[in-house]
Amino acid sequence: MNSSLAVSLVVSAIIYGTPLLLAGLGELLTERSGVLNLGVEGMMLMGAVTAFWTAQRLPGSGPVVLVAAIAAAAVAGGVMALIHAFLSITLRANQIVSGLALTIFAGAAGLSSYLGQEWRLGGEAGRHQLQALNVASLKDVPIAGPILFHQDGLVYLSWLLVIVVAWYLYRTRPGLYLRSVGESPAAADAMGIGVTRYRYTHTVVGGALAGIGGSYFTLALSAQWTDGLTAGAGWIAIALVIFAFWRPGYLLIGAYFFGLLSGLGFDLQARGVQAPSEFFSAIPYLMTVVVLVAVSTGWAKRQLGVPAALGTPYAREEGS
Amino acid sequence: MIRVERRLGVPRWLPYVVPVGSLVAAAVITAIVLLLSRHNPVTTYQQIYQSAFVSPGAMSSTFVYATPLLFTGLCAAVAFRMKVWNIGGEGQLYMGAVGASGAGLALAGLPAPVILLAMVVAGMLAGAVWSAIPGLLRAFLRTNEILTSLMLNYVAGLFLYYLIYDSASYWRDLSSPSAKVFPVGKNLEPSAAWPAWHVAGLVIPMGFLVGVGVAGLLLGVIKLTRMGFEMRVIGEAPAAARYAGMRTRRAVAWVMAASGAFAGLGGASQIGDFGHVLDPRGLQQASYGYTGIVVAALARYNPLAVVVVSFLIGALTNAGFALQGPQFPAGLVGAMEGIILFSVLAGEVLARYRVVRGRPSAPPSEPGRSGVEVDRAEGVPGQPVGEVAP
Amino acid sequence: MSDRQQVEPTGSNLADGSAQEGPPAREAARTAGGEPAAALEARGITKRFPGVVANERVSFAAAAGEVHALLGENGAGKSTLCSIMTGSYRPEEGELFVRGEAVRFRSPRDAHAAGIGMVHQHFRLVPSMTVAENVVLGWSQRSRLRFSPRSVEAEVAEVAERYHVRVNPRAMIWQLSLGEQQRVEILKALYREARILLLDEPTAVLAAGEVDDLFASIRRLTADGGTVVFVSHKLPEVMEVADRVTVLRRGRTIGTVAKAGTTPRALAKMMVGREVDLPEKVPDAGAGERPVVLRLEGVSAAGDLGGESLREVSLDVHEGEILGVAGVAGNGQRELAEVISGLRPSSRGRVMVRGRRISGDPRAAIDAGVAFVPEDRMGTGVAGSLPIADNCVLKSYRRRPFSRGPLLRSRVVGAHAARLMDRYDVRAPGPRTLVRQLSGGNVQKLVLAHELAEDPALLVAQSPTHGLDVGAIDAVRRVLLGAASRGVGILLVSEDLDEVLEMSDRVAVMYEGRVVDVFDAADVDVDRVGILMAGGQE
Repeated sequence: MNSSLAVSLVVSAIIYGTPLLLAGLGELLTERSGVLNLGVEGMMLMGAVTAFWTAQRLPGSGPVVLVAAIAAAAVAGGVMALIHAFLSITLRANQIVSGLALTIFAGAAGLSSYLGQEWRLGGEAGRHQLQALNVASLKDVPIAGPILFHQDGLVYLSWLLVIVVAWYLYRTRPGLYLRSVGESPAAADAMGIGVTRYRYTHTVVGGALAGIGGSYFTLALSAQWTDGLTAGAGWIAIALVIFAFWRPGYLLIGAYFFGLLSGLGFDLQARGVQAPSEFFSAIPYLMTVVVLVAVSTGWAKRQLGVPAALGTPYAREEGS
Repeated sequence: MIRVERRLGVPRWLPYVVPVGSLVAAAVITAIVLLLSRHNPVTTYQQIYQSAFVSPGAMSSTFVYATPLLFTGLCAAVAFRMKVWNIGGEGQLYMGAVGASGAGLALAGLPAPVILLAMVVAGMLAGAVWSAIPGLLRAFLRTNEILTSLMLNYVAGLFLYYLIYDSASYWRDLSSPSAKVFPVGKNLEPSAAWPAWHVAGLVIPMGFLVGVGVAGLLLGVIKLTRMGFEMRVIGEAPAAARYAGMRTRRAVAWVMAASGAFAGLGGASQIGDFGHVLDPRGLQQASYGYTGIVVAALARYNPLAVVVVSFLIGALTNAGFALQGPQFPAGLVGAMEGIILFSVLAGEVLARYRVVRGRPSAPPSEPGRSGVEVDRAEGVPGQPVGEVAP
Repeated sequence: MSDRQQVEPTGSNLADGSAQEGPPAREAARTAGGEPAAALEARGITKRFPGVVANERVSFAAAAGEVHALLGENGAGKSTLCSIMTGSYRPEEGELFVRGEAVRFRSPRDAHAAGIGMVHQHFRLVPSMTVAENVVLGWSQRSRLRFSPRSVEAEVAEVAERYHVRVNPRAMIWQLSLGEQQRVEILKALYREARILLLDEPTAVLAAGEVDDLFASIRRLTADGGTVVFVSHKLPEVMEVADRVTVLRRGRTIGTVAKAGTTPRALAKMMVGREVDLPEKVPDAGAGERPVVLRLEGVSAAGDLGGESLREVSLDVHEGEILGVAGVAGNGQRELAEVISGLRPSSRGRVMVRGRRISGDPRAAIDAGVAFVPEDRMGTGVAGSLPIADNCVLKSYRRRPFSRGPLLRSRVVGAHAARLMDRYDVRAPGPRTLVRQLSGGNVQKLVLAHELAEDPALLVAQSPTHGLDVGAIDAVRRVLLGAASRGVGILLVSEDLDEVLEMSDRVAVMYEGRVVDVFDAADVDVDRVGILMAGGQE
């Protein structure tokens, strides 16, 4: 394999991995608070459609519009997550069914499609797209240039977020409290930490990040809106959190690994590798199964890092 | 501050009030969404009602959509009852369709009842095999079945495309020149078409009747058999099930397989009742597998209720497709289904718990119902010793 | 803080009046014996749970520099009262005063701010975090944002040293013994500069030596002007450590007495309301002659977190014999019970029941005649959301007459349940009642009913009376004695040493996964058992 192929593979891994990374970071924060949100797919689609609408309709210069579009996606994702938060935290409804409901509600045949039609986005070509930045004019440096210094803003934002989330979890007090809420809400509550507040906040922030992850599809990957264009990325993001043992650093690796798999098909086909395209498209899904099996057996059997209270509602009055 | 407190008993009205209340609540919330996007909810609902029940052929068409939902609803109901989260009804339905159409094609020329039976068996088997993958992984390796069953939906969908669009498979029609350019599946012979029941101008597909039979059978198993008893205990109290010597892992794997078999039967009915050809787009357009989850939840996982609910949601889906177009909001049906599911969840909670505002723990408002509860965390058993109000 | 309000110390006569909403002016009304304002006072506290009044107009006052015991049997409302005083629950009626000022706690945070710390019976620690992280949770002396493991560890080490608490700040909680975990809980309160410390049943998890350490810490705290509220149902330790004692019974205050002016006998009567005489086993010298029902030969097993929790245990239980297993919680008793009942595989050795070998399969153990009353009776022993009838055939549903072919015969099951409820005095409206509606005592009777209905050869009973009130303890003990007299061999695992001594023919002592010695009940040396439980050799 020559170095230009390697570089192009890494670049495509980063590009296809970025929405997974953003959504995965959001889900990581949500799950660290003990809430399981299976609605990532729906939140991403809402982010994607809202961002595209903003980018198409908002007057103004490119960068400003794009920032607004990303912000709108974050709001859309956050609002969706709020529904899940209310049901699963306040009403203590079954988190699995609530997350599924969110995906059905907002998903490919739901609200995102509704809005896509209402806003007449179908078939429109993207007006503003995220452009790769030439950071410190280093884009032409061999190997490192295209990988590190020639990416778009959301890629840099995702890198920043990995660092921020890791720092937040392990080096700040709220991060410490967040971990305690996910591990043992009763202990956190007894120490005066607002379990409900932490769970709400991180569920909504998680949704916002999923929304931003979704916006990457319409603002960078495909430059148009079609129903269900995330094609399961939200679910893969959830699997990635398990794969990463709830740690942001591993999540970065996992996201790019899956990004590589997603981009691999196009790349190999472009290079004349003969195989049905369905086979390449199926690789990420099959790999998710394989990775989940690997994580649940053998070397990882000790359930490293699963927030102990994940998926269980907390109620002080009934004990825990 | 809103809080909820647990009721002790399950009120008798719960099974009826929650679904009906959820539908009403969903209708109201959807109306608000429609108003916000400048649609007239009254006309929209009228349109839905018309095209689901009143227009010529509407009722028969509703049965067309209700039939697969009945099967995917049973698929979700049987698994969710035991807290096994099979989200793979979609893919299991596809595989059932692959299996049934394969059997139908292979047995062409044999007597119709033989073909019919073979299609049913092949469909169920294919669905069961597909769901057994996440089932066995969950049971014996503790792999999260939500994600694996879901991933396999995408794989099954791609497999369908591969069979018809991207290969010279057994299912693909390569007999005519045009079929080589515009890929289609092989048509089954008329003898492989399932009969329908024509009554009072209605066409009720055989698949629906089979589904009703399966639902009745399933209810019997749940209520009357040892297996049903085990399902209850394993679902409600897994630790107690293990303590009682139940083979919990085996049960999880079997229930998952059964769940997939139901969806697979739905796939078989898609071929035998309606399509008579393996058509990837047709199978995928309505996401019957996911909608089955809504059906099951609204039916509170009761198989017979699934029959009724599948008809209702089938009507909604039917209307959605009939009205499709620029005048009718796309995605409305899906959004409405999501809202129904939210409402069911909230309703379930509100029925099981009391909602309290502000101060925690109001005095019991229903003295007739309240009993003595053990507060485990505190280790404070109620007193006086073991009395439950009648 | 400085106002010299005089407060009625017991509050018991206030409780009878309509004192729930007393305005602050009322506080100065009484001058009883020139005592200073109480450090912590509860006045007319009422708290209801659905269907239960946990506290009814409860009042008491603890002074600064005092160890004040809250004495009452299980279910008397002590834990509820503690949760109210630490802001976890809010009372429906009544008021709290800290150093004479009325306070209203909305959350545990408010209680911390008022200088109240609490050590719960079930620790509120995060097992996957370090000691230091647990100690600083929710509150910081320094930065509100930044968190550095190093500096926090140093800070906690310093506080631990100041208060003579021996604990390693870097250790993970799950690695610690229960006694060490309790020290972390105390350290948490001290770190927050709590002046009032509530200890809920603190000795339940401690070995004899650790109890002395705890009492020493308590005395240091009160000598320093702090207040300790010591919640317990054990008379001897209350008599040892408390200055004054408030007795609770069935959610009400019975009265407050100074230790000097009372006797254990008088306290016991206040606590129970009648003379109690729990049934005891008359040691049966001939038991050793009868056939062996359970034989363990060098059995080892892994614990939940890896590592060996059960080490080469060898034991025999004979027909009709009760073998008591004594030990401090967490020394392998749970693993022992689970290995015998097939819920946990053994890594080495043999478990034989009536000559049949069983390992790692609950069904095989059941078929061999093993009955099991698990520690977690509500989560494991029954399915709470199912009716009593279903729970009555939890294990026997597989056989005739309850099932025939694949069918379960619900009428037969219902009749069976009604019979068992009658025989074991399970009080409920009927067999269709959901088990989670039952009290702890009735749940335990139900577990015993479904286990003994199968005519077992061996009954493994783990903490069978833990958390029950006296009436239910009496009933459970009678059932166990009745089973033994019918020839059932019983392995009684309990952290309550008195119970083990009173109920057993022989007593085995466990420490760190091993059986360190076995005594005949007739000639047991209580002091030696205590030493062995704490890991001492002689």
